[in-house]
Amino acid sequence: MGLDIGSVSTNIILIDDKDNLVFKKYLRTQGKPIDMIKEGIKELEESVGEKNICGVGATGSGRYLANIIVGADVVKNEITSHAVAALGFNPKVRTIIEIGGQDSKIIILRDGIVTDFAMNTVCAAGTGSFLDRQALRLGVNISEFGDLALNSKNPVRIAGRCAVFAESDMIHKQQLGHNQEDIIKGLCEALVRNYLNNVGKGKEILFPIVFQGGVAANKGIKAAFEKELKQQVLVPENYDVMGAIGAAALGRKKAEEQGYTNFRGTKLYEKDYKVNGKECNGCSNLCEILEIFEGNEVLARYGDKCGKWSP
Amino acid sequence: MRKTIGIPRGMYYHDYHPMWTKYFNNLDGKVVFSPKTNKDILNLGVSKCVDEACLPVKIFHGHVEYLKDKVDYIFIPKFISICKREYCCPKLLGLPDMVKHSIEELPIVIEPEINLRKVNSLRNAVINTGRIFTRNHFKIANAYMESMEFQKYYKSLLSLGIIPTEDHQNTHTKDIKILVLGHSYNVYDEFINMNIFNKLIENHVNIITADMVSADDINYYSNMLPKRIFWTDGKKIIGAAYSLLEKNSIDGIIYLSAFGCGLDSVLVDLIQRKATSKGVPFLLMTMDEQTGEAGFNTRLEAFLDMMEWRNKNEDYISSIW
Repeated sequence: MGLDIGSVSTNIILIDDKDNLVFKKYLRTQGKPIDMIKEGIKELEESVGEKNICGVGATGSGRYLANIIVGADVVKNEITSHAVAALGFNPKVRTIIEIGGQDSKIIILRDGIVTDFAMNTVCAAGTGSFLDRQALRLGVNISEFGDLALNSKNPVRIAGRCAVFAESDMIHKQQLGHNQEDIIKGLCEALVRNYLNNVGKGKEILFPIVFQGGVAANKGIKAAFEKELKQQVLVPENYDVMGAIGAAALGRKKAEEQGYTNFRGTKLYEKDYKVNGKECNGCSNLCEILEIFEGNEVLARYGDKCGKWSP
Repeated sequence: MRKTIGIPRGMYYHDYHPMWTKYFNNLDGKVVFSPKTNKDILNLGVSKCVDEACLPVKIFHGHVEYLKDKVDYIFIPKFISICKREYCCPKLLGLPDMVKHSIEELPIVIEPEINLRKVNSLRNAVINTGRIFTRNHFKIANAYMESMEFQKYYKSLLSLGIIPTEDHQNTHTKDIKILVLGHSYNVYDEFINMNIFNKLIENHVNIITADMVSADDINYYSNMLPKRIFWTDGKKIIGAAYSLLEKNSIDGIIYLSAFGCGLDSVLVDLIQRKATSKGVPFLLMTMDEQTGEAGFNTRLEAFLDMMEWRNKNEDYISSIW
């Protein structure tokens, strides 16, 4: 089982011992990761029954939380997980473009090992959240976004440096009366330009290129990448859960090595988890401590700098 | 009663505090430091400082704000040039003026100008500062000489790889060697850099800092550039990176940079190009006011994973031969 707890989506997948995807659930996190984990695992049990889960891997920015709730064998960062999954999809891959909700990354591989990577800096222009927000503003459903972009014949140019500037630039173009399709395609191109100039700066982007993460669903972005890079961009079938697939593969390997799994069982969705946040007044750092309860029992505490609360 | 001199724990504190302390103590002053940077200091700084400033300057303002009611004097030297034909960062040049402009009801600010581009600047700074406490020039000169000795001792400790903020010591027995670069006020402030040293030590990394590279090496290798770097900090960072890259003695570089730093925008690019040409992994960590560590940790973990992955692969190839 692999879990990828991201800022926007929570993905839970199952793979068998031959790397076939048996179960896949893509949920919107909506700021409630614990509820979403429970919901996903509940659905997992309902749809495939209580399978023998022999290893668990967790990734995504909520990976430590997932580990506490579910009990994972491997807690791995997103970059390694995505690289492992992409290598499973195409062992020759040399460039991975991954665009998620809050992060965008580029991972450079040579001969099957990661040699370089970069992530976006503090700026969110060039991520899924940016597109989400602009779609909302245009009154377009995000799932139609890609198809609309493909219909455009004459894209407008939109500043891609900063999400705030892009937004005001887009509004100006709207006020001038440009077509919605042309604006949408312009946005896709702006995002790609920003990605390549910011995240991909100074990186040697070589074929085969794999494009994954939630934004890979957007055909407009894929087309804009192909236009800009003048190369074919491959989108795996399970592009949206690649992080979880990588984590699952790592979890399986670790569980095999250690001979057991830390998994707490699928029945965990019946349990009640509570989170209590408090500020520690022990010193002037005023750390934000989180306590996670299962029923009345404290599962974990973390968030402190000094180790007073976390073991 | 002995006069108290407040020294804010920010900016060049990490480079010079032993010297300053010794000097003022010898003049019968009592030195008071602000505490290590924490959330309160950050909040004070952000609320007082102009908003375009970089994070370390904002934090410095926080330290001053913390100290201002507790001391008779506040010591904010105006570092203009500390090396011949070189300059400090513009934020340091104007630091006392910035602070005085932004923070009200300050005690007396001691702000000697240190500008080695001018004759006698250092001498005047030492004497004029000393005269606040005593009229005995001999005593002032003596205090200065002793403080310089102490400073040399401190620098020699740094050059041995002792990290001033760290409880754990850097043991130098580990396999992976990582050069941690950046301005001293980012590298040695564990709040700004989210305690990166601790995290690296936990992951069995042997940490190298620019302070461990000799001044000769720094001068020699920074001269490899077609045009000399005229920022002292910049020269040190570039020289350290180039010398270790040329000697192939590091496995990776982590650059800690505060968002919006003008010097770093040039330095990072120069070092990144060199590192890429040498095949050494390079990670840029941009830091600002965020206190959530998830993004920081993800990058760090991925970087360490990547190095491990590479090393394993190298072993694999060598075992075939």
